[in-house]
Amino acid sequence: MLGATDDEGTPMSEVATVIAGWGITFVVLATYSIWVVLRGKSIGQELGIGGIEQSDLGKDTSATADS
Amino acid sequence: MLAEVFLVAQKDIRVERRAKIALGQVAPLALLILMVFAFALDANASLLERGAGGLYWLAVLYGGTLLIQRSFDLETDDGNMDALRMSGIGPSSLFLGKALALFVQITVLELILGPGIVLLYDVRVVDWALLIVAALAGTVAFSVCGVLWGVMSAGLRVRATLLPLLLVPVLAPVLLAGSRAFETALGVRSGAGWTWAGLMSVIAAVHTALGLGAFGFLLEEG
Amino acid sequence: MTAAAKSGAKMTATPITRVLGVSALAATAVMAVLGLVVSPPDVVQGEAVRMLYLHVPSIWIAYGGFALTSISSILFLWRSGRRADQGRHYDRLAGAAAEVGVVFTAITLITGMLWGKVTWGTYWQWDARLTTTVLLFVTYLGYLALRRLPAEPTVRSRRAAVMALISFINVPIVHFSVDWWRTLHQKASLSVGRRPEITGEMYWTLLYSALAVTVLATWLIIHRYRVIRLEELRDEEGLEALIASRLNKDVGSH
Repeated sequence: MLGATDDEGTPMSEVATVIAGWGITFVVLATYSIWVVLRGKSIGQELGIGGIEQSDLGKDTSATADS
Repeated sequence: MLAEVFLVAQKDIRVERRAKIALGQVAPLALLILMVFAFALDANASLLERGAGGLYWLAVLYGGTLLIQRSFDLETDDGNMDALRMSGIGPSSLFLGKALALFVQITVLELILGPGIVLLYDVRVVDWALLIVAALAGTVAFSVCGVLWGVMSAGLRVRATLLPLLLVPVLAPVLLAGSRAFETALGVRSGAGWTWAGLMSVIAAVHTALGLGAFGFLLEEG
Repeated sequence: MTAAAKSGAKMTATPITRVLGVSALAATAVMAVLGLVVSPPDVVQGEAVRMLYLHVPSIWIAYGGFALTSISSILFLWRSGRRADQGRHYDRLAGAAAEVGVVFTAITLITGMLWGKVTWGTYWQWDARLTTTVLLFVTYLGYLALRRLPAEPTVRSRRAAVMALISFINVPIVHFSVDWWRTLHQKASLSVGRRPEITGEMYWTLLYSALAVTVLATWLIIHRYRVIRLEELRDEEGLEALIASRLNKDVGSH
């Protein structure tokens, strides 16, 4: 009664489920990663911090106010 | 310190008595919930009997949440808890005092729900000791958790939805254990009722300790 | 000079995270190859076992993330006084780690349910592990909600930190309760839904997957932390601009 045995699922549906699982996982992770990076870039631009490795000390950026 | 605790509890209970929310509104509401459960389960006698323990605690959860909400709405109508802070009463006493008041109110609720399930779901109490111990432990757990998480969401506009969201995952094991203990006490299932009651007691104790430790931090401003 | 400029905050990309990011990408690709192609199907479970290479490392990382949140919150409550930034570093770290933890908890749930569909025949069976994972998920969703409250930042951070601390103690209690509950119920059929014996290639694939996921999660937490920092800076600048404009208007009244 408890739990089904494997011979209910054909090998094809097993593979499909595995692909669905890995697919969803990758989509979720990729989406989240891209969102984090893009958000960082956009706020960074808003604040006038640009480029990699810029330490910003001594730089006087004029574009500061939030739009 | 004990005197302060009673002072705080008395204040809350006095307000409650004047407003009669617990007796006047919440208890009938909880009773109504018991009826609605029967509608949902098609008044299936055997289902209701088997589920009586769990349904009881669901009704306590519902009514209890309303009471917790109210306990803090009193303090924080515009988002600050200055009245609590300025009273000069120590955070531990505040915590215990409010928990005590809540305990009394939830007990009143349960004193109505108990007969409610006996009547409506046709169950009999087989083990009174277990029933009372489990009910006590569960009510203490509800009270201390209620005060702790109530203060966490106090004074915020979203508090009505935030409180249950934070409270229920914390109370889940209490609901679980309470239902199982009651099932044994009502003779519905033989089992580890006392162990479940023990678990509830441990949870109640742990959260009392947590509350005593954390309340000071939570009341601090800025 | 703006607050942002003074803070020395970097854009979210730096050489370290570039390296980390590329490594994460590469490691993940290798993990996919190992998990989907190279490792063998299980004798009992067939292809379904491949789901576990994601499911198990995900919950490990989730627990790790939440532990980081709790430790960071403890440090926030106890050590803020000693720091120049009033402990905001700890607060940010707690938030970043929790969000990444929630993402991986969601992945744990999805892969777990799909695995169950193949192995048990149903998406859900009130199995202890999945049930506790749902409670964990909702608990930290609540934590994230608490972090976004319309309240003073210090009040908000403190409440969140207390919640993380309480959850650190409460989550094991919940875990134990549910576990015991399901054990009592499944006495009769312990073999159902049992995780397979992982040996040989499967074992190494699992370990490697854990490593790959850890690298990815680290990269994510660092970036998320920086975004939080940038958001704080932006709010500060907004406040500064507001104050500055007010002062300009009230010339002579100061």
